[in-house]
Amino acid sequence: MSVTIPKIPGLASSALSNPIKTRWFWFSAMSFALILMPLIIAVVAFYSYIDQAQWTLYLNDAYTWRVVWFSWWQASLSTLASLATALLVARALTRRQQFFGRWLLLRCFSVALVVPSIIAVFGIILLHGKYGYVNQLWQWVGGQPHSYVYGLTGILLAHVFFNLPLAARIILQRLDAISAETWRMSSQLGMTSKELWWHIEWPHIKTVLPQVAALIFALCFTSFAIVMTLGGGPKATTIEVAIFQAIRFDFDMAKGVYLSLLQIVFCGGILWVGLRLGRPIDMFTSLETGPGNMRPDLKSAWGKVSDAIVLLLATLLVLLPLLAVIVAAINSAWSEVLLDMRLWRAAYNSLWVALSSAFLSLLMAWGLLLAQRHWRRRYKTAAIAVEWMGSAILVVPPLVLATGLFIGLSPYVNVFEINLYIVVLVNALMGLPYILRVLSVAYLQIGADYDRLCSSLDIKQWPRLRLIEWPILRKPIGLALALVAAMSAGDLGVVALFGSPDIQTLPLLMYQRFGSYQSDAAGVTGVVLLALCLLIFAILERVIGGPND
Amino acid sequence: MIKFSQVTCHLGEQEFNYELQLPLGQVVAVMGASGSGKSTLLNILAGFIQPTSTTGSIYIGDQRVDQLEPAHRPVTSLFQEHNLFAHMTVFENLALGIRTSLKLTPQEAVQVEAALDQVGLKGMGSRLPKQLSGGQRQRVALGRALVRRKPLLLLDEPFSALDPSLRQEMAALVRAISKQHNLSVLLVTHEPRDALELAETVVFISDGKVHWQGPSVDFISQKDSQIRAYLGQSC
Repeated sequence: MSVTIPKIPGLASSALSNPIKTRWFWFSAMSFALILMPLIIAVVAFYSYIDQAQWTLYLNDAYTWRVVWFSWWQASLSTLASLATALLVARALTRRQQFFGRWLLLRCFSVALVVPSIIAVFGIILLHGKYGYVNQLWQWVGGQPHSYVYGLTGILLAHVFFNLPLAARIILQRLDAISAETWRMSSQLGMTSKELWWHIEWPHIKTVLPQVAALIFALCFTSFAIVMTLGGGPKATTIEVAIFQAIRFDFDMAKGVYLSLLQIVFCGGILWVGLRLGRPIDMFTSLETGPGNMRPDLKSAWGKVSDAIVLLLATLLVLLPLLAVIVAAINSAWSEVLLDMRLWRAAYNSLWVALSSAFLSLLMAWGLLLAQRHWRRRYKTAAIAVEWMGSAILVVPPLVLATGLFIGLSPYVNVFEINLYIVVLVNALMGLPYILRVLSVAYLQIGADYDRLCSSLDIKQWPRLRLIEWPILRKPIGLALALVAAMSAGDLGVVALFGSPDIQTLPLLMYQRFGSYQSDAAGVTGVVLLALCLLIFAILERVIGGPND
Repeated sequence: MIKFSQVTCHLGEQEFNYELQLPLGQVVAVMGASGSGKSTLLNILAGFIQPTSTTGSIYIGDQRVDQLEPAHRPVTSLFQEHNLFAHMTVFENLALGIRTSLKLTPQEAVQVEAALDQVGLKGMGSRLPKQLSGGQRQRVALGRALVRRKPLLLLDEPFSALDPSLRQEMAALVRAISKQHNLSVLLVTHEPRDALELAETVVFISDGKVHWQGPSVDFISQKDSQIRAYLGQSC
C-alpha cells in the first residue's frame, strides 16, 4: 500500500525522519479530516443548489428581509440588555466580596451556562406566560392578564438569562484582577464611588467589553431553540429559524441554501469583527472566592441597598425559571411519565450523544493543538492555519452545518436513520471552540515550559502523557468535556432538523410535550433533562478533573 | 513622634504586635525577613489594614490616627508597583493627589508642574506611564506624594524593581526631597545599603514584633544573632 503524504505546509523532512513525530502527525491529520469533512460536504451541497436558487426572487422577498432585520435587531437588543445588566451585577459582586450570596449567585451563573435552552424557555413561559406566575400576581392585585412572553420580550428574557451570567463572570474577573495597591491608593486619595468607577473600574473593563459584546451578539444571532419556541410566529423569526422552516416545513431546499449562505456571510462578518477586537477571553475561571480587596466606597447605605437589590434581582432572574420548572414537575403525571419507556430511551440517547460529542470534540481539539504545538516555532503559518480551523466552525452555525449535511448526505443515506451520528458530529464541532478556549493556553504552555526539559530527560510518548500532560491538563480537560457534554445533552437545534418519531432525545421529547400542551409531562421531562445535564457536568468535571485543591 | 502602642493584628495564622516610638523628621528604614511584618506595619499605619485590638492606639505627632479613614491620615504611600493609573497621563496621575475629580484650578496646575520639575520630569506631563521607564514611573509617584503635602511618606520597597544605578539615583532623590520638604519617611527595604545610605534609624522586625531599634550605623555591627542571620553573617 502506498502512502501519500498530504502536502501540508511545514511538514519538513526532519519531522518525517522521526517516527514519533510522524505518528503525531497522523493523529492530527485524522482530526483535521474529522473537522474539515463535514464542512466540505456542506459546502459542496450548497454549491450544487446555487443554480437552482432563484436569487432575484429571494432578494425581493419582503419576508426574507424582515427575517434578516429581526435577526440583527433582536441580537443587538439582547447584547445591550445582557451587557447593561451584567455591568451592574459584576460591580455589585466585586463590591460585596464578603456577601454570603456571592458564592450562591456565582454557582447559579455557572449552572446557567449549561442549562439546556429548552428548560430556560419552559421556565420563562411558566413565569411570564399568559397563565404564568407574573400574570397571576398581576391579576391578584387587580390587573388584566397580558400575553407578552411570545415575541421579542420572551426572546430577550431568555437571551439575558443565558448571557447575563456569561458577561457578568467575564467582567467580574476583570474587576477582581485590579491590584490591591490600586484600591489602597484610591482609598488614600479618598476617591468617591463615582470616581472609582471612572478612574479605575471602567478603564479596566472597557478593553474587554467589545469582545464580550461580539461573543454575545454571535450567540444571540445564531440562537435557534429560543427563537423557535418563543418567537411565536413570522413576526419574530431569525435566519436560523427560517432555515429550519424552509427545510422542515416548506421542503424548499433552495431557499434553505440561500438563507444558509446569507447566515454564513453574516457570521463570518461577526467573527471577523470579534477577532479584530482582540484576543479571545477566558470565561471559565473560578470566581467563587474574591480577592478581598479593600475599597473606600463600601460604607455608604445607598451603596449597600442598591447592591442588595441588584444581586437579589440577578439571583431571581436565574433561579426563578429553574425553580418554576422544578415546581411544574410536581404533579400527578410524574409516575406515568417516569414509567414511560420513551422517556428512558430518550434519556439514553441524550446521554450517548452527550458523551460521544464530548470525547469526539476532545479528540479533534487534541489533534489541532498537537499540530499547533509542533509547528508553532518553525512553521508559523501552518500553526495559524490550524488555529483558524478551530474557529472556522464559528462561521457556520449548527443549523447551517446540519442543513448542509442534510442536503449533502440525503442522496446517499437515509439521514433520519443515522441522525444521532450527525447530531454527535455537529455537536462535537460546535464544542470545539469552547474546548480549545479552555485547553489551548495550558496545552501550549506545557510545550513552551517543558519541551526542552522533557527531551533532556528523554521523557516522551506514554510516560510524558502520563507524568506531564495529564496532571497539568486534567482540570481543563474535565471542564471542557463537562461543558461540551452538557451542551450536547441539551441541544435542540440539530436534533430538531433530523428528529424522527423513532429516535428521540430528551430535549426533543420535552419540546413536543410542551408544544402539544402536555405541560405536566413536559415538567417531569424537563426535570429529568435538567438533572441529566447537571449530573453529566458535575460527574465529568469531578471524575476527569480530579478533586479540587 | 510616631507612636504605636499595643497595636495587635491577626492576618490568617499570623499575629503581629507593634510597640514602637519613632522620631519625626527622619528617614527610618524598616527591615526584617519576608513575612516578618514590615509591610503590615506600614499598611496599618496607612489604614489599609485594621488592627484587631481595641485597646491599642496609633499617633502621628499629636494626632491619633487609628480611627481615621485612609484618606484622612497624614501619610502618602508608595508601593513597589501599581502606583500609577496606566490610562492616565503623568499630569493627571499627579493631579489625583490634589483633587480626585481632576478638576484643578490654574494655581493647582502650576503646583503639579512644579512637582514634576522637582522629580526631574519637566515637560513629560502629557506622557502615559507605559512611555516611561520603571524609574521614571516611581518619580511620578514621588511627585504625587509632593503635591499631596502629607508630612509622612511610607515607602514599601519602592526601588526593588529598579537597577542598582537607578536605585541610587532614586535614593538620592528621596533624601533630597525629604530634607527640602521636611518629610518623615518610613522605608521598607531588603537592602542594608539603603538603610546605611538613606536612613538615620533602623527598625528591625522579626516574627511580628519590633526586635531591635537604633541608629543605622549600629545596625550592621550588631551582635544580635537574628540580625546577623538576616544579614547573612555567621556569628
